[in-house]
Order: sequence, then structure tokens, then C-alpha cells
Amino acid sequence: MLRIRNLEAGYGKVQVLHGISIDVPKGSVVTLIGSNGAGKTTTMRAVSGMIKPTAGEITLNGARIDGLESYTVAKRGLAHSPEGRRVFATMSVADNLLLGAFPRLTGSRPKGDVAGDLERALELFPRLRERRTQLAGTLSGGEQQMLAMARAVMLNPDIVLLDEPSMGLAPILVEEVFRIIASLKARGVTMLLVEQFAAAALKVADYGYVLENGRIFVHGEASKLRDDPAVKAAYLGGGH
Amino acid sequence: MKFARLIAALAGMALLAAFPVAVANPYYIHLLETIMIYAILLFGLDIVVGYTGQVSLGHAGLFGIGSYVAGVLFTQMHAPLALTLVVAIFVTAIFGAVLALPALRVSGPYLAMVTLAFGTIIQILINEMTFLTNGPMGIKLAKPVLLGHKLDDREFFWLVAVLMVLSLIVVHRILRSHLGRAFEALRGSPIASDCMGVSVYRYKVYAFVVSAGLAGLAGALYSYSEQYISPNTYNFELTVLFLLAVIMGGRKTRSGALLGATIIVMLPKLLDDLELFRIVACTLAVLMAVGAAVGISKKITTPKAMAIPVVGTIALAVFSFWLQSITDWRLTVFGLMILFVVYYLQDGIVGFARNLLGRKAVVALSTAAPVSNAKDAVTMASKAHLGAAGSDLLLARGILMQFGGLKAINMVDLQVKRGTIHGLIGPNGSGKSTMMNILTGIYAPTAGNIEFDARALLGRTSSDIAQLGIARTFQNVQLFGEMTVLQNVQVGLHHTFNSNIADVVLNTPRYRREDSAATERGLGLLDFVGLQDLAFEEARNLPYGKQRLLEIARALALDPQLLLLDEPAAGLTAPDIKELITIIRKIRDHGITVILIEHHMDVVMSICDSVSVLDFGQKIAEGTPAAVQADEKVIEAYLGSTVA
Repeated sequence: MLRIRNLEAGYGKVQVLHGISIDVPKGSVVTLIGSNGAGKTTTMRAVSGMIKPTAGEITLNGARIDGLESYTVAKRGLAHSPEGRRVFATMSVADNLLLGAFPRLTGSRPKGDVAGDLERALELFPRLRERRTQLAGTLSGGEQQMLAMARAVMLNPDIVLLDEPSMGLAPILVEEVFRIIASLKARGVTMLLVEQFAAAALKVADYGYVLENGRIFVHGEASKLRDDPAVKAAYLGGGH
Repeated sequence: MKFARLIAALAGMALLAAFPVAVANPYYIHLLETIMIYAILLFGLDIVVGYTGQVSLGHAGLFGIGSYVAGVLFTQMHAPLALTLVVAIFVTAIFGAVLALPALRVSGPYLAMVTLAFGTIIQILINEMTFLTNGPMGIKLAKPVLLGHKLDDREFFWLVAVLMVLSLIVVHRILRSHLGRAFEALRGSPIASDCMGVSVYRYKVYAFVVSAGLAGLAGALYSYSEQYISPNTYNFELTVLFLLAVIMGGRKTRSGALLGATIIVMLPKLLDDLELFRIVACTLAVLMAVGAAVGISKKITTPKAMAIPVVGTIALAVFSFWLQSITDWRLTVFGLMILFVVYYLQDGIVGFARNLLGRKAVVALSTAAPVSNAKDAVTMASKAHLGAAGSDLLLARGILMQFGGLKAINMVDLQVKRGTIHGLIGPNGSGKSTMMNILTGIYAPTAGNIEFDARALLGRTSSDIAQLGIARTFQNVQLFGEMTVLQNVQVGLHHTFNSNIADVVLNTPRYRREDSAATERGLGLLDFVGLQDLAFEEARNLPYGKQRLLEIARALALDPQLLLLDEPAAGLTAPDIKELITIIRKIRDHGITVILIEHHMDVVMSICDSVSVLDFGQKIAEGTPAAVQADEKVIEAYLGSTVA
């Protein structure tokens, strides 16, 4: 599905990623973990076209997507739920969700059943149904996070990137977010997940990569990483 | 480096002084004189546009006021030159303060409209107040008399040159000082400026006043230089030209202002002469091609990105040879060039050159910066207060905050003891951040009262409260993105400066002492949070977690008694969180009281002395961490079932 090879990227003159390679097979959940500044968010941004990689290859379903603009990457079937949510604050919840399906409505992606998908998204996120006419900016942090995730799913994408979906959420909502990730996984959605709660992320994921200073330090099946003493010591301390 | 700059500056000044001797033609003397006069104005305009980030379309109006003050004083009172210049600066500065008033309320396109209206009104007033300004007929002046000697063209040129260099030094000194940092902070984040004790209100007015004073000086010199002024000079076109000069030359640089002034004076002349235009078009094409080649070889840019500008400039050069007469095409070519610069050189020509040469806009203060002892950098909360440990530092009673019908905070009491870490937790949207905003004066509560250190807080502005000793960080990071990491902390140290603008301009020992102390303490504070290696990096380039640490360092720079931390651990992974806990404990050990909003229960439980829990704007529990964690209501509303 998604293949990253020797990716290098950064901001201005600061190089953040020094050649990383990641595979996300169809139907699986892959997580990136690592400390601050390791390059997790930078990887996500490079994949979805928000920054241009300086070297390396990214392919989605076998076609190169590196260096393309974000909207083109989205049309190819990659949805990004960004760090910090970024909902359209002055639009209603329902309009936010429909904008997530924009490429389907303009014909640049197969249309499918948009109305049905909206219904299913609201089923998955009952709190959004209650608030479907409310302006997104008036939602609480947790609800905005759910909206950002639901909006990404509305693209009917081949793969979803989730960047820190639990950031800034109350513990009770963190559980809810992970429940939702698990149910998306059960519906066969392919996901690349960046999370501060590495332990919880490795529980829901199939495979994990640990980043350190822009390089992959170790990778393996999620269950194995969970038991790896080095990973445990460095990244899995502390629950919520 | 510094020496080379000095030599270059001296050589430049010598050339300037020699120019009227070497070039006898009065036309060229006058041309260069106009450039210098515009440069004086542009230095000032750049303060408002480049540094504080406000738009002003009123500077042609200010320029006109300066001109007419000189014109009126000359014709009505035959005032001496020195007096005329001082009065012109002073009167225009007052108008600048008037122009600042709308800037306090509106920004962006609205401010552009208001300042545009200001400029138009000034022009109309000049036109209509015939008794003073002689209306559309204009005013004729002679070259001024200085110390009993009537200046000739050449001597007046020298006068303008001296004043231009002086303005440059004054502006340069102001902008690299704490005042300049305050201006830049306004652009980065007004809320954070206020919460660092830098009053947005006051510094916006300062910026406009200084900027207007320079416009006034430029205007007065312009009258003497032209020897005839009339209202239609100070029109909309001139104001747009000024803005273009700042943008084309490159904002936030003095060399950009000089270059911009040169462009707006020379370009129209240049487009009068076909031969000259051909030469310039060819030069431009060659420069562009070389620039692109250097850029591509250094991997700053890609061949694809450079293709259009290179082809465009070459096409322009070819076009120039095909042309028979330039006069018909003047405006078109002018417009195309402007479009080109705005589209491709968004940092201006100087900014582009800097990027190309890979030079930092901010020169490191000194390569071997002394990292002072971190222990000294964080000031102990004053000893008098330490004696009273255990007493209440903050006492809030019956706080009610209503947004329309919604009660975001509903009759909440909050009591925080000196020297403790007090946790504030609750579901998202329960009112925690609202509480922070009330404590720091961003919101005024509907009812209730707050006492801090036995003083009432309500009714005080954010910057007042900051100076009383309450510092904060922000949930959605509010750094001054274009400033360096060290400069961000130095904005927090603004309160350590007693120097006024005269100290800054004259570079007095007091200012120098305070400035080097602020640099040293700034580095010490960065050391305290572990960011000393990144001191000269732009703040926006830091990863998220490090930005949060920088916010803490900046808040500590205020020497607070109370520090409010809004979700400092959000987005941090386990090892970073451990580091954060250590830092918060160290802060407490310095006698600083902390209020901590956080969702990471391991952080809250391990360092808080007491915890309050909010839900739907009401306090549902309070007590020790352990008691709160076991509380049924808290578990149901917030913690959930599976908390470790």
C-alpha cells in the first residue's frame, strides 16, 4: 500500500529525516514512535505532501507521490488527520465531514455512497451526531479530534495518517480514541499512526517503527516491540 | 566581520560625501538626495510594516504633514532650519499616535482601509486649508539657512546625507534593542506579548510614533529639496510606492529600505530611456541566470522552480530590443516587474540575496556566548515571600464566566498556597483554560473576585498582571516564530530594562549593561530547560515539545511568583515527560508556585501537592492527588475505568 524508501526531509536548512524506510501493508495499522524531534510529524508531513522531501521515494499503490501537492495526494487516496486537529472552525460539523469527501464530490475520486458514509461516520462517532449542526470551533478538544478523524475517513481513503490523535485529551477520551482506532481497524482501514502513548499505540498496531534523530532505530512486529527491553525502557514508561 | 562592516560603512559614507564633488550635475545630486529622503521614511515604515506587522497606507499623509509643517513654518514665520525639523518631527509624531489608535482595534485589511482614509483626509485637508497651506497653488521654499549661512545644493545634500546616516543609526539601535524585540513580539503573538508584560497597546503606539517622526523628518527635508510642494504629491500612488519599496527591498533590513528607495526613485526614470532599459533588462537576465545556477548548485532550489523567472527575465531582455519606443510600455513594464518581485521574491531582494548566500538574518551575538550558571538564571521568588510559605498566594472566590447563555465557569473558588504545585484537571471543555485566561486578565469574569499576593487582580490588564508576577504558557503554543529562541526569552526579560529610548539611541553604559545582562540570563534560562544549543535557531523551526520548553523558559524570565502551565506535557513521549517533571520540580524548588493543567495523570499524581477537578465549569472535587483519584465523581467524569 504505502512504501517509503530512504526518505530525507527537513525545514529550511535543518535536515530532520536522514533516510528512513517504512512499509504499510494493506489493511494493517503501523505506528511510529520516538521522542520529541525524532521526526514523526515530519515523516507524516512529507508523506501527505505538506513538505517536499529532499531525497527518497514514497509510493502509494505503486505510484510515486513524493513531491506532489497535498490535494493531489488526497485525490490519490491518502487522508491526513493532522497534529492539532485543524478543523474548519466556522463551519458546521456536517459541512466539515462533507468537505472531507470533497474529491469524491468533484469527481476526482470514485463517488461511492457519500450520504451512506456520512451516516456510518456519525454512527462511529455518536457525539458528532448530537452536534452535527454546531460550528466546529465551538466543540471541545475531544470532539474536535473525533471530527478530524471522521473527516479523514470521509475521503474513503486507501490509507489514513493519524498524527497524535490523543494529544490534549482527557484520559477518558484517550480510551475512546483508541477504541475508535480499533474499530476502524476492524473495518479494514489501513492506518499510519503517530502517538505519544507508545504503549497504547503498540497495542492497537500490527507493526511498529521506532525513530531516533531522524533514523529508524528499531522496527518489528508490535507485540515484539512491546517486549523489547530497550524500547520498553526508553519509550513505554508511564501509562496515562 | 564587525571590522569589515565598519570599513564598508565608512567607505559608503565617504563615497556619499564625495558624490556631489565628483558629480557636478545637479540633476544627479537631486536624484540621490531624493533616494536618501525616501530611505529615511522607509526606515520608519519598516518598523510598522516589517516589525510590528501592521499595514499602513497612511504614510504618504504623514510625509505630507512633515512637508507642510516645514512649508508653513518657512513662509509664515521664517523659522530656522533646526527648529523647523524638530517641529516637523514632533507634529508628525503626534499624528502618528492618532494613526495608531485604529491599529489598536483593527488589523489586516480593515487597518489598511482606515489608514488609507487617514492619508486621503490629510491630502484633502492640505488642499482645503488655503489660509495655511495656500491650497492647490502649493508653497514655494528656498534652500534653508543654517547658522547664518544659506546652504547651496551641495551643502544641502550633505545635510540630508548626515541626517540619513543618523536616522539609520537611531533606527538600527532601536530595533536591535529590547524595544525592537517588543515590536517584533507584537507581530508574533499579541496575546503572548501582553502576558510577558509587554503591553501591546503601548508598543503599537510607540512604533507608529517613531515611524511617523521619521516620516515627518523626511517630509520636511523633501520640501527644502524640491523647493516647491503641492497637495497632489501626497497621493495614494505615493503611499503604495512606499509599501512596495519596503516589500521589494526586503522588510526587516535597513539595506532593504535603501535598496527599495533606490528602486522607486530610479525605476520610473529608467523606464524613460530605452537604451538604459535594454542594459538593465540584460543585466537582470544575467543576474537571474547566475542566481538560479548558484541556487541549484547549492540545492536551495530546483531547476523547475527557477525555470519561469529565468525564462521571464530573458524574455524581458529580448522584448527590450524588439521595442521601438518605451514610453507606451512604461506602466506595463513597471507593473510586470512589481508582479515578479512580489511573486518570486517574497522576502524582498535583500532577503533573497541572504537566502542565496546562506547567511542568517540574525547575526549571532557572539560565537563564544558565556553560558552562565543556570542556578542564577531563575530568580528565587523574593525572600520576604518565602518566609510566608504556606500562606495563600492566590485566592479566587465565586468566579463566574458567562459567554452568552453558557456558563463556562460557574461559581468556582480556587485557593493556591505559596510554594506548592496545584493541579487543575477536568474533561476537555470543562473550563480549565478559561480559568487560566481569567487569571491572566485575558477574560474579565462576569462575577467574582481574585486576590493575588494580597492585591486585587480584576480590572488589571494582562501586561499589568504579568508584571505583578504571574507568568504563563499556552496550550496552543504562542511563540514569536520569526525571532530566535534566545530573543523569545529576552522578550520575557523585557521588565529587567530600565533604559528608555534615549539610552538605546545613545547606547549608554546603562543600556549596554542591561543588554548584556539580558543576554546572559537568557542563555542561563535556556540552559535551565536544556535548549542552550538552539539559542540562535528561529523558534518556529523547533519541534513541538521543544517549543513547549521554550515557553516555560520565556515565562520564567518574568521572575514570576506564580507560573501557570497549560498542558505542558501534551504531545510529549514518556522520556520527555520525565525531563519535564524534573524541570517543574526545580521550578518549585526556586520558591515559584505552580498551577498545572494536565491530562497526563502520571505527571499530575507525581508532582502536585493538591488538585482541583472541574467539570462543566463547576468544581466537582478537590484535595490531595490520591483522594481525587479515588473520587467516584472524578472517575466517572474524567478518569474512566482503566486508569493505572
